Amino acid sequence: MKTALAIAAAVALATPALAQQRIPVGHLMDNSGATSDVGVPYGQGVADTLAWVNQTRQGVAGRQLNVLGFDYGYQAPRAVSQYQSWTGRDRVVAIQGWGTADTEALVRFVNRDKIPFVSGSYSAALTDAGGKSGRQGVEASPYNFFFGPSYSDALRGMLRWAADDWKAKGGQGRPKYVHMGGNHPYPNSPKEAGEAMARELGFEVLPAIQFALTPGDYTSQCLTLKQQGANYAYLGNTAGSNISVLRACQTAGVQVQFMGNVWGMDENAMKAAGAAANGVVFPVRTQVVTGQDAPGMETIRAISRLSDPTGNVYRPVHYLAGACAAMLMVEAMDTAAANGGQVTGERIQRGFYERTNWVPKGFEGVCTPSTFTNEDHRGTMRVAIYRAVVSGDTSQGSVAELMRAGTMRLEPVTTVELERKRELLGW
Amino acid sequence: MTVMTPAGDFRTSYRADTTIFPTRGSRAALWAGLAVLLCAPLVLDRYLLSLLINVGTLGIAALGLNILVGFTGQISIGHAAFFGFGAFSSAWLHESFGLPVLLCIPVAGLMTALVGLVFGAPAARLKGLYLAIATLAAQFILEDFFARARWFTGGVAGRLTESPAIGSFALDREESYFYLVLAFVIIMFVAAANLMRTRDGRALVAVRDHYLSAEIMGINLAYYRTLSFGIASFYAGIGGALYAHHLQFVSVEAFNILFSIQFLGMVIIGGLGSIMGSLMGAAFMVALPEVVQAAADALAGGAIDRALKIGGNISFLREMAIGAAIILFLIFEPDGLARRWKLIKAYWKLYPYSH
Amino acid sequence: MDGTLLFQLTLNGLIVGALYGVVAMSFVLIYKASQVVNFAQGEFLLVGAWMCWWFLTEWQLPFVIGFLFTLVFMTLFGIILQVVVLRPLIGEPVISVIMATIGMGIFFQALMKWIFGVFAKPFPPVFTAERVSVLGLEVQTAYLLSLGISVAIMAGFGWFFRYSRHGLAMRATAFDQQVAQSLGISVPRVFAMSWAISAVVSAVAGVTVGMVNGVSSALSFYGIKVFPAVILGGLDSILGAVLGGLIVGVLENLAQYVDSQWLNWGNMYQVAPFYALLLILLIKPYGLFGTRNIERI
Repeated sequence: MKTALAIAAAVALATPALAQQRIPVGHLMDNSGATSDVGVPYGQGVADTLAWVNQTRQGVAGRQLNVLGFDYGYQAPRAVSQYQSWTGRDRVVAIQGWGTADTEALVRFVNRDKIPFVSGSYSAALTDAGGKSGRQGVEASPYNFFFGPSYSDALRGMLRWAADDWKAKGGQGRPKYVHMGGNHPYPNSPKEAGEAMARELGFEVLPAIQFALTPGDYTSQCLTLKQQGANYAYLGNTAGSNISVLRACQTAGVQVQFMGNVWGMDENAMKAAGAAANGVVFPVRTQVVTGQDAPGMETIRAISRLSDPTGNVYRPVHYLAGACAAMLMVEAMDTAAANGGQVTGERIQRGFYERTNWVPKGFEGVCTPSTFTNEDHRGTMRVAIYRAVVSGDTSQGSVAELMRAGTMRLEPVTTVELERKRELLGW
Repeated sequence: MTVMTPAGDFRTSYRADTTIFPTRGSRAALWAGLAVLLCAPLVLDRYLLSLLINVGTLGIAALGLNILVGFTGQISIGHAAFFGFGAFSSAWLHESFGLPVLLCIPVAGLMTALVGLVFGAPAARLKGLYLAIATLAAQFILEDFFARARWFTGGVAGRLTESPAIGSFALDREESYFYLVLAFVIIMFVAAANLMRTRDGRALVAVRDHYLSAEIMGINLAYYRTLSFGIASFYAGIGGALYAHHLQFVSVEAFNILFSIQFLGMVIIGGLGSIMGSLMGAAFMVALPEVVQAAADALAGGAIDRALKIGGNISFLREMAIGAAIILFLIFEPDGLARRWKLIKAYWKLYPYSH
Repeated sequence: MDGTLLFQLTLNGLIVGALYGVVAMSFVLIYKASQVVNFAQGEFLLVGAWMCWWFLTEWQLPFVIGFLFTLVFMTLFGIILQVVVLRPLIGEPVISVIMATIGMGIFFQALMKWIFGVFAKPFPPVFTAERVSVLGLEVQTAYLLSLGISVAIMAGFGWFFRYSRHGLAMRATAFDQQVAQSLGISVPRVFAMSWAISAVVSAVAGVTVGMVNGVSSALSFYGIKVFPAVILGGLDSILGAVLGGLIVGVLENLAQYVDSQWLNWGNMYQVAPFYALLLILLIKPYGLFGTRNIERI
């Protein structure tokens, strides 16, 4: 009894002291909204990694991270109101964010409050850190960061590949390109950039086709696609609604090469779409995927065990990307805290500029090297294109089993290195 | 003027019959309550204040809906769209014409009222479920309009809004914005209470109670039904504008069908045809997610949490709580919190001789 | 102009429209029998489809047995909802009843997402041939089957209301509850039965759509599509509901055609039925085929 009391007293005394020392970090997730299909694995990756940092590295400079998670259901207004509560009440120093609409809406807020914001949105409008591009609607966003190629750059890379693919396949005349996606800031983000690039590469650009971010029956869209005679179609939505399109188009007998957004395809979607997903190409942000080996994969497995002690859960590409995004923030915080420095938003932001070809320690061979400068937040210009290969029935068995059996595979197609053109900054 | 309500009906004039605060006690309570609210920013933290601000903005809009549903007997499943229209109007007026925000808010209310009249005119011919379905259509059509009209709403990306300012003093913090909302709440609620004492207000109630009898008594049905839509939209517009300048960001995503249903939920939970009930309903709807969150936090890490995976699914739990609250109130307390409040008051008034 | 596309879209509209018709029919059934406007009709599809999916994948039941289990479950589900939620509300104003069904809709939609997640999940393949070519349009076998089932259900309804004892009781109740009661019809039983039948028929539609597109929360949107259909067809006409469903299906696809050829606005597919709905209510406040309520004082 006495010891119990003593422990209780010790805990009561220690808690406020500890709480004061913990570093508050916000984590916006979509676990329930339109993009939760990919938001869940990404958010899990971020959460597990931050928990792992707390557990194995004692947080940042000996101070634990106090990660405040919030599921905003992909509704930008809810993200904004949560942001206000975080800055007003919890005084977060950095935020792990998610969608394009909310990230773009928050740009002005995070600039004002000087809070680094690592988004799951790779909208090119967030890369113009100095605000020097002079593009309409693009503001200076010195506090916005993300891990991977921007949506526009990823699409440019895929179009580059598509142009070669068309020649390699011996296609006659000009190939036709069409942008497909919902009317939402996220699918719209690379639309104009992609169409401009496609024209430049000699594609005929068809009028865009719209489909909602939610699953549904998209037969009529596929019939339109078929009638247009498109050869290459970009799927701008996340995996959940893309599956519906892929299945409907398979039924309607549409012969088109689909190119997915980074969030547009993954292992879960391959299982759900089955043979309809076969042949879809999409960019992968990390250097490896689960099942392949690299020095850093050991760390990923350790992180994964935090939320899955059995070690059996398959971690899709988004989980790995989430881990890398979280680690960029953690290492920038390390830099801020180095030599007894304060961990403030401003110092964390400067921490992002410390390294070039930056791969977080322990993640070698997993995270693609990133370089941020105070004018250019395009972390990488490298677009690694993979193809989803589905060679059998996917309705039985888990993703892990299907991947192991080779029924589903992620096949590297090519890696496109884009030039870092100044005039394309922020677009 | 007595302290307590007399035990019988001793009123001798219409004036006495329509007083809002009949006893000295109720007036004292009013002033005391107001004083407490005025002190709120001094003691509460910013998060709690922002919750109170939400109660105020949503309460104003819910009152509008209550005038439509509770007092006139019409139905609207598109209230969030009008709320959104007010929010976008105010943001648009400020950005395009540089009107001061404090002026934008009432003008946005008027613009929304106009739109409400446009949708209300055909609605005057409809009632009951046909009207419900028509307003449902209005909800989807307005949502689509918001997503398309870039010039007005900023398109799907939404629009940033500014804080209001008095002279050079910006009301950009919860502490100061709270007073603005409080002022609007008082004005709008007093206006509604007064409206119900006028000929027009009684006409609305007559339309609700039996529209044929009302028509026979010389009440112009179409006029009052349309008017009611206009008033409801005005309130929604004011509420929306206040919401927009508080959040400093408006986007079409907020004004979806679920939000419309939440407004209806506020009216039903607060009490159909009760002015203060609208505010109680709004407070209930604002508090509900907080309670759910608190419950989930209390369970976090436990066996129940692990079995049901509450942590990652808290949003669904929140939505379920809204649905369940609406159903439970309809079954067990169809007259809402306002009646419950009256019962509690009556209980204590008669205590300990409650029989 | 593109003739083939127009034709294929129209055909697609008819196929989808038949499903809308089935859902609209079960909506009208409830309305006719108990004067309740069911805003949770879409959730019947959702619950039915998820249950069937669960039986087939988690329990590994063969399709026919799993499907029968689903129907049994939906019968109970409909009856329980009616008894627990709607029976206490008999005699309450329209708004209360509408809100109760809306509340149920929100509740079950969130519950299904909680239990089964938000990802669209595919049904295990049921038919050996996944699709068939109909007049140049590749159609999922499940859709064709649903067309057959829809026609069968419609015929069944026709027989039920004309000749069966229960159907006649239901019609009598719809006509006048008091008179029906005095003739010895158990009105509460008729109410419960109408909900059960409605839930079962909706579940059939839900399973069909689930087989084609995978099961996901999108299914509940069928419940919203019902409104344009029944306003077109009239709230109290079963045949009208079917017709309304077909019209809405075709209308959506024609809107998509117009949009893809000339406008390029996007989203016309979703909104067009609602414009049509408002237009009809403007001209004919009781719907195209609905009977006007004559009120006496």
